[in-house]
Amino acid sequence: MNHLLEIKDLSVAYGDVQALWDVSAHVDEGTVVSVVGANGAGKSTLMRAISGLLEPLSGDILFRGETLVGVPAQEITARGISHVPEGRGLFTQLTVQENLELGAYLAHVRPHFAASLDHVFTLFPKLKERRGQKAGSLSGGEQQMLAIGRALIARPKLLILDEPSLGLSPLVVRQMFELIARLHDEGVTLLLVEQNIRQALKAADRAYVLQTGHVAMQGEAAALLENPQVQKTYMGALD
Amino acid sequence: MLDILSVRLVVEIFINGVLFGAMYGVAAVGLSLIFGTMRIIFIAQGTIIVLAAYVVYWLFNTFGLDPYLSLVVVAPLAFATGATTYRFLFRKAAAMADKNTSLLIAVGLMFLVQNVISFVWTPNPKSIITSYTAVGFEVFGSRISVTRSISLVIALAATAAVVLFLRRTLVGKAVRAASENMQAAMLMGIDPHRVNAIAFAIGFALAGAAGVALATTYPFDPYYGFSFALKALIALALGGIGNVVGALLGGILLGLIESFSSFFISAGWADAIAYAVFLLVLMFRPEGLFATSFKKA
Repeated sequence: MNHLLEIKDLSVAYGDVQALWDVSAHVDEGTVVSVVGANGAGKSTLMRAISGLLEPLSGDILFRGETLVGVPAQEITARGISHVPEGRGLFTQLTVQENLELGAYLAHVRPHFAASLDHVFTLFPKLKERRGQKAGSLSGGEQQMLAIGRALIARPKLLILDEPSLGLSPLVVRQMFELIARLHDEGVTLLLVEQNIRQALKAADRAYVLQTGHVAMQGEAAALLENPQVQKTYMGALD
Repeated sequence: MLDILSVRLVVEIFINGVLFGAMYGVAAVGLSLIFGTMRIIFIAQGTIIVLAAYVVYWLFNTFGLDPYLSLVVVAPLAFATGATTYRFLFRKAAAMADKNTSLLIAVGLMFLVQNVISFVWTPNPKSIITSYTAVGFEVFGSRISVTRSISLVIALAATAAVVLFLRRTLVGKAVRAASENMQAAMLMGIDPHRVNAIAFAIGFALAGAAGVALATTYPFDPYYGFSFALKALIALALGGIGNVVGALLGGILLGLIESFSSFFISAGWADAIAYAVFLLVLMFRPEGLFATSFKKA
């Protein structure tokens, strides 16, 4: 079976500092895949390599069977990968509406803008109320909704969410995972990076545990959730 | 005590300051746009303005084309030249994390253009004298030159056009987005080379407009461009980097500072005072003077 996204022996460095070593992973259509691990494990680096913001040292990234290595980031977006980066990447000086319009910047997305916008406003009614406000004036949770809403406007084949729960209150974090479940039900393929490991594993079909730039564990998310080693290393203190 | 005569004089100094400052302002708007996406001070901006002034001069002397009418030729030509200049000179350097290469290319371009102008048109100052150059009109008893007034109108119209483009069009919004966060813009599918090229094209078109304004109001020589770019840089700092309307206002403020200090102190001190204000603003209000009242356009 062909995977939607397939990462083969990927190594990536930031300048002289190598952050990923021979990482292999895959994402199938319609599934939610979580990448979990401690701070600095290389999760964001992996996402940035997929979306073209970082050039790998070696290895390959295949999306629908075609390599993404050497393809500029804007073209990877055009091929159907929307990446909500760590820190959200909102244009804080632009309004909510303008941010959403830029989600439909690509020519093939623009004709669907009105319909996609309706869908996004159904998911996040708050954004509709605040459409004339500058994105920078929104609360943290609203900003995260805007970032995800903006990514959904492009109707991506793969949606990458990098730490969507970071810095949000527990109530908003719960809403965020409810949203992820809803997107999963709608058939959106999701690659989710999280430090909130228990939640991330509950939300996912498959998961990868990254440890200092290597894949330490992988498999069914439900199985990893029960795995004593995962529980001990990543959830022990929380229980 | 102020009598009628000195009130008139102050009004005249004020108006001339505004009119000349508007030209700095247009140059600063161009600097602001290019800085926004490229993260470099485009130091050749003043020299491009001077080049445009020479083209206006050439069209006037060779074809008898009215300098204001030549705007119709010069602005689109400058627009295309800006996009081409980006494509051939800056495209590769723009992708580098180190911005010094782009800055050095701009410096090299400035000297190259200066020398070409000097070779083609000689280093002697030029000016354009039309039938209406000496014409003026009276406002509250003060005499205002027609050409400088038209320059102000050009400056205001050009800035308004840029603001409308940035606020109303999708590409304009993409330029603003890229100015704030280029990587996030790329994740929207925005091609950084495209927005850089647009910033250059508009920056050059504004230089074309400023060149028309310059050619019709003041004498110019090939080496005037560098100090003009420095003045535009001061205007940019006064207005706050990345703030288009602020850049225009910064230019007008600079024009006023120069105009008043030339009269009340001496012309020789006007430049020194302008640079001193520049340093003071950067030290005490680096976000610009209008940062709270005018957000990014």
